[in-house]
Amino acid sequence: MTALPPFELIRATSLAEVVAARRSHPGCRLLAGGSDLIANLRRGLSDPPALVDITGLPGMQEIAAEANGVRIGAGVTLSRLVDDPLIRRYFPALVYAITTIAGPAHRTSATLGGNLCLDTRCIFYNQSDWWRHSNGFCLKYRGTVCHTAPTGHRCHAAYSGDTAPVLLVLGARAELGGGEGRRSIALNELFRDDGAAHLTLGSDEMLLSVWIPIDSGLVAGYEKMRFRGAIDFPLAGVAVSLRRKDDILADLRIALTGTNSRPLLVSGCEALVGRPVDAAALQQIGKLVQKQVSPMRTTLAPAQYRRRVGSALACRLTGRLFAAAAESPFSA
Amino acid sequence: MIALYEPAVGRRLPLIDGIEKVTGRAAYTADLRAQALVGRILRSPYAHAELLGVDVTAARALPGVVAVITGEDCDKPFGVLPITMNEFPLARGRVRYRGEPVAAVAAVDAETAERALALIQLKVKELPAYFSAETARAPDAVLLHDGRPGNLLREVHDEFGDVDAGFAAADIVREARYRCAEVVHGQMEPHAALAEYDTERQRLTLHSVTQVPYYVHLMLAHCLGLEESRIRVVKPFVGGGFGARVEPLNFEIIAALLARAALGTVRLDLTREETFLTHRGRPETEIRVKLGMTRQGRLTAAACEVVQRGGAYASYGVITILYAGALLHALYDIPAVKYDGYRVYTNTPPCGAMRGHGSVDARHAFECLLDAIAAELGLDPFEVRRANLLKTPMQTANGIIVNSYGLPECLARVEKASGWRQRKGHLPSGRGLGMACSHYVSGAGKPIHRTGEPHAVVELRLDFDGAVTILTGAADIGQGSSTILAQAVAEVVGADLGRLRVIAADSAVTPKDNGSYSSRVTYMVGNAAIDAARQLRDILVAGAAHRLGVQPERIERVGENFRAIGSNDDGLSFRDTAAGALAQGGSITVKGTFTVPVEYQGGKHRGGAVGSTMALSYSAQVVEVEVDIDTGMVRVEKVWVAHDCGRAINPLAVEAQVQGSVWMGMAQALGEETRYDHGLPLHVSLLNYGIPTIVESPPIEVHIVECLDPNGPFGAKEASEGSLAGFLPAVTNAVADAIGLRFCDLPLTPDRILEALARRQRDSRIAAARGAAS
Repeated sequence: MTALPPFELIRATSLAEVVAARRSHPGCRLLAGGSDLIANLRRGLSDPPALVDITGLPGMQEIAAEANGVRIGAGVTLSRLVDDPLIRRYFPALVYAITTIAGPAHRTSATLGGNLCLDTRCIFYNQSDWWRHSNGFCLKYRGTVCHTAPTGHRCHAAYSGDTAPVLLVLGARAELGGGEGRRSIALNELFRDDGAAHLTLGSDEMLLSVWIPIDSGLVAGYEKMRFRGAIDFPLAGVAVSLRRKDDILADLRIALTGTNSRPLLVSGCEALVGRPVDAAALQQIGKLVQKQVSPMRTTLAPAQYRRRVGSALACRLTGRLFAAAAESPFSA
Repeated sequence: MIALYEPAVGRRLPLIDGIEKVTGRAAYTADLRAQALVGRILRSPYAHAELLGVDVTAARALPGVVAVITGEDCDKPFGVLPITMNEFPLARGRVRYRGEPVAAVAAVDAETAERALALIQLKVKELPAYFSAETARAPDAVLLHDGRPGNLLREVHDEFGDVDAGFAAADIVREARYRCAEVVHGQMEPHAALAEYDTERQRLTLHSVTQVPYYVHLMLAHCLGLEESRIRVVKPFVGGGFGARVEPLNFEIIAALLARAALGTVRLDLTREETFLTHRGRPETEIRVKLGMTRQGRLTAAACEVVQRGGAYASYGVITILYAGALLHALYDIPAVKYDGYRVYTNTPPCGAMRGHGSVDARHAFECLLDAIAAELGLDPFEVRRANLLKTPMQTANGIIVNSYGLPECLARVEKASGWRQRKGHLPSGRGLGMACSHYVSGAGKPIHRTGEPHAVVELRLDFDGAVTILTGAADIGQGSSTILAQAVAEVVGADLGRLRVIAADSAVTPKDNGSYSSRVTYMVGNAAIDAARQLRDILVAGAAHRLGVQPERIERVGENFRAIGSNDDGLSFRDTAAGALAQGGSITVKGTFTVPVEYQGGKHRGGAVGSTMALSYSAQVVEVEVDIDTGMVRVEKVWVAHDCGRAINPLAVEAQVQGSVWMGMAQALGEETRYDHGLPLHVSLLNYGIPTIVESPPIEVHIVECLDPNGPFGAKEASEGSLAGFLPAVTNAVADAIGLRFCDLPLTPDRILEALARRQRDSRIAAARGAAS
């Protein structure tokens, strides 16, 4: 790590102040926990004239029951979420996913908003300035070629947030705010499959909060594959939520992280609704996942492995949750 | 009043410098306070190129820049082995790997230094680059170094006994090829050096993270053209070495050159990335091993070919390739052994010495094939080992003398503790047990520099305060050498540990020591400490005898006190005895030495000095694994390891060292691997280089076997390296037991396991389809 580049720190206390700061300081970056941003700044992956501290905005630190759901401010830290009784009670899968993120110390500063908006990652991008310079830089930053797919025209850096897939299968919504006011979107609409621009936020927009519906009939879980059981980002992370009615699936949602440039909500799961979770169903799930994930050479583990293991984990987790759903809701 | 005293040797004593470390008070090199300029190194972006020009004009002109140096500033190549000094602190004429230092800057702050680096222009002509041993050895390959045809640093061809006859006498002969990825030490503390140049007096002081202050001292003198007397080298607290720092490294010399050029003090703290680039890890190694065996499990012959991708410079390469062959011996009784080794220059960072130096990958291959043959013959792996035990004392065909040999007991201990006989073959699918053995030297018998001096020197000083000061050049790098020396002296002098103080590794104060490598310190410096301590004890006993009016033989010890045999009083206290002795001539200084006798300095054949030692440690281990066939994840459930270290001077430290060895073996076997993309290292962060975390760390049950060595200090031998190599084959054999697949490539990462499982499934489907068709 090298020294942090110099920057101005602006502490915003309202959305309007954030919007104004972004207008007056083009290229500035929003700062919450900083666990992703600061490490990247030290590596020269961004050179912002200013950082805008958004943790003091109204509502950013709130966890509140609201409209048959729970609203979580984007600035709530991951460690607070893990300890929150409301979150523990209704969303154990989210709690588990959070405990797999980085290490305990990181989670005391890292925020939910930061984890959702986590920069995409790649072995050709998350390197030092000397390294990237020696490699002719890359499409994501200061270069023109994506080293994972040199003949292509887009960046394939992988999305690696662990909370997004869980929130996607729980049906979460995101509240955004900017110069034009506020709007609420399905969380799935926050992302696009482009490693260099994976968030759909407008240039002056930011994530304010996330709302998760409470759905007592839904069981959900998360499984994360990585070579080390601490610190590592997911090579493939799978979240599943399902509803069981007697011996058949009444609802099924599967989402993955670590395999694409965005968290991937697997499509076609409805074809399995109305059927038992048997070997044939699991095989079909495995195929659905294998077809839709598109890992590239963004990690040291081979892409083919991430495809295989993403699929295997989706099957295993679905089977486990289906069995658990017979016993009690809220299992994970 | 009799002072409290208990025997120091054999005590489970926490390391004497542990409190500083766990409280954060310990000052490591980067913590040292100094008004210092900031040093930064410009590194080559090219893997292989002629260096036509380094333009530093703009960098020198930048305000705040105090010095800029290039290869022009030092034309003396350095290296740890006098016969292969071929590395310049800053490249001259040619760059040979991506990351090689080319220029360096000292500036008033980090930002200025980094801006200056960006202003330096390199003019090069790129050359073909080779990232594998195979491409570097191709007949038309450009040579990295003149006069090294085939890009070979060294080839070794040894045959002891009649190998052809041995294979002819075997009932079964099997051969297999293994490949071990390159790994690196991953010590916690990144490299750092603080260089102070006293311009008026032309003196240099260097604080560095080194394991070998003396070799650094020599190379500083050589590269700077200074007499050794003008240099002082100090080793502060060090956060791990594992071989990464057993040779003078470029950044240490660069720091000194910068300080001289800047006429002042320069701090050079390397990043984690630069620490990886400095490298000196265990090379990528290909091993072809062939074993002959009788139906009863008796080995008849062994042949082994080893190819190491050594990187761009020599470093310890000659020693590494020799060790791989030398330590095929001295573990089992093998009638004939043939070895062919090739150390290859490539355009990757230079490899060097790493825990278990040279022996690890070859041992892995040997033990894996031994397990496979045992299975084929229906023999138990323990019985196969027992069929091939050495009959000691003995001398191996390559000249290693083995006086103490605890392997039989090591085998018995882990076989019993792991429940091998009851459990092997009866575990559920996906779970498996594997075992293997290993060994290591207790210090290289022949020193690198043939100065004629003793191999180890320790000084003791006793003064008015009644404190005994131990002066040693031995570098404690976390392994606990200072603690062991304190225990040795306390034991012999009969002094409470509280009155001992260790001053280590400061060339201005302490006697020269060759350094902390090849597990030599306990054995050699320990023996020197005992020699010194006996002299001090004799002085004290003589003094006490004089005071008590008896002959020295009539003095006995009661706690720390000295008493005439037969008297019932408390005798003389240590303080009073010391005061009496001091009255004869003031502060008392004694010096103990140790030299390895010539018969232990190796065989007469070329390269025979490598592998020579006075004693070997022996180790056997059983590993239990669980393999997840959905993810390919190998989970180590438990390790039982027995290590023969002779007398355990400090059983607590021994256990920690053995656990550390096993753990490091686990890291290499299951996760660690360097990776290069056209010579650009992808692994150079703790996120990308797969050092296991505490989550992956299994319970490691250590059994200490004390097969006393007749020449070791109190009978002690090596404890820090010998249990590493055995883990690799033991876990590989356990995976074979769990899922029926014998892996030849390390590390056993989940992707390799899953790929092999998928391949097996495909093959069996094809076989089934063929069967149905016919």
